[in-house]
Amino acid sequence: MKRSNFIRCHVCETVNYDDPSNILCRRCHSKLHQPEYISFHRTLAFLITAMILYIPANLYPILISKQFGVNTESTIIGGVIHLWEAGSYPIALIILVASVFVPLLKFIFIIYLLISTKYNVNSSRVDKHKLFYITEAIGPWSMIDVFVVIILAVLIHFSGIQVFPGAGATSFALMVFFTMLSALSFDTRLIKKGVT
Amino acid sequence: MITNRELDQFIICKKCDTLHRKIPLHQGTKALCSKCDTLIYRRDDKMIEKSLALVITTIISLIVAFEFTIISININGLEQSLSLSSLFAVLIEHNQYVVGIMFLFLIVIFPLMILTSLFFIFFFMKIKKYGYTTKRLLILLSHLKHWSMVDIFFISLLVAMVKLFDYARIEIGVSFVAFILTLILELIITKNISFHELWQEHENIYGEEDDDEEE
Repeated sequence: MKRSNFIRCHVCETVNYDDPSNILCRRCHSKLHQPEYISFHRTLAFLITAMILYIPANLYPILISKQFGVNTESTIIGGVIHLWEAGSYPIALIILVASVFVPLLKFIFIIYLLISTKYNVNSSRVDKHKLFYITEAIGPWSMIDVFVVIILAVLIHFSGIQVFPGAGATSFALMVFFTMLSALSFDTRLIKKGVT
Repeated sequence: MITNRELDQFIICKKCDTLHRKIPLHQGTKALCSKCDTLIYRRDDKMIEKSLALVITTIISLIVAFEFTIISININGLEQSLSLSSLFAVLIEHNQYVVGIMFLFLIVIFPLMILTSLFFIFFFMKIKKYGYTTKRLLILLSHLKHWSMVDIFFISLLVAMVKLFDYARIEIGVSFVAFILTLILELIITKNISFHELWQEHENIYGEEDDDEEE
């Protein structure tokens, strides 16, 4: 009886015996795993979608402010620089980390997990599981920037001055959505396979 | 081959995937993972009653948070207030439908669905009926749990407030307090219950006879 014979159901968290002929969880009857290539390709497809969306999310303005008929557009990076120059360093850092570094980190983590499980890169299985756990946990926090823009759009809504979300906000929100889907469709069983 | 009863003796840490053999615990104590110190299970005989009370309070405070003004600002006499209804009005006005729909689901629909399904799970467990429905709700809950962003919305609210601090006078509304209350309660709920224990409790209460019905 080896460690790799046991598998944890991701829905009800019970321990199952890994039996190729029976792929349903013994307690909640949800699928324990699909054929591995399905999970691999699904994760990859969502990841690529997210990476493509990351480009317009950074290039298009996330926030447009209209002062007496004149439009000023600012991208994510532009907003961070503006905040930094205005002297609110903590907020600038929060936005920078949450909306620039967190998505990039997620991309790198998921790519690493996919490559290392596909080509059996020699690294600790425990570390990979922790990496996956972190990837899942930090995912939604990139939404901060979109929410801030929405809140500002509601509050600064006068006849003279208006703020509203631009095309960047939509692509950014979709990008976060797809990275979360990508992380969720990653099958932790792939990690196990790399060891045996 | 290994029996289900033997399999019930094991538990796998959700963070580092280490296999553990369970040991019986005293009331109110908890078991940590030997490798990464994550909480893996605990014993609390009053879990259902406690959680039911917490969930009801959270639903009420979340509804209050959605109903009233969250914050309002005042720039040289011009006033503007933020509440859920004004938020959707502005998003529709600027044609931000994708962001609006995502916001609707992540902040309103999913959190309410999570809380109501938790309420029904605990209520059914308390009256010890409807085992199959409870099981479906538990499965639904495990898919929904990643998709609630109320906490992130609150942090964004704070960030937006700091941004506006220099230009405007900010007044805090009723919903702001309700949001804080909701977050604290949600934190206590997620600390209090784990899916492992919910399923364990489900098995203890309903047994496994409902499995045979559906097969």
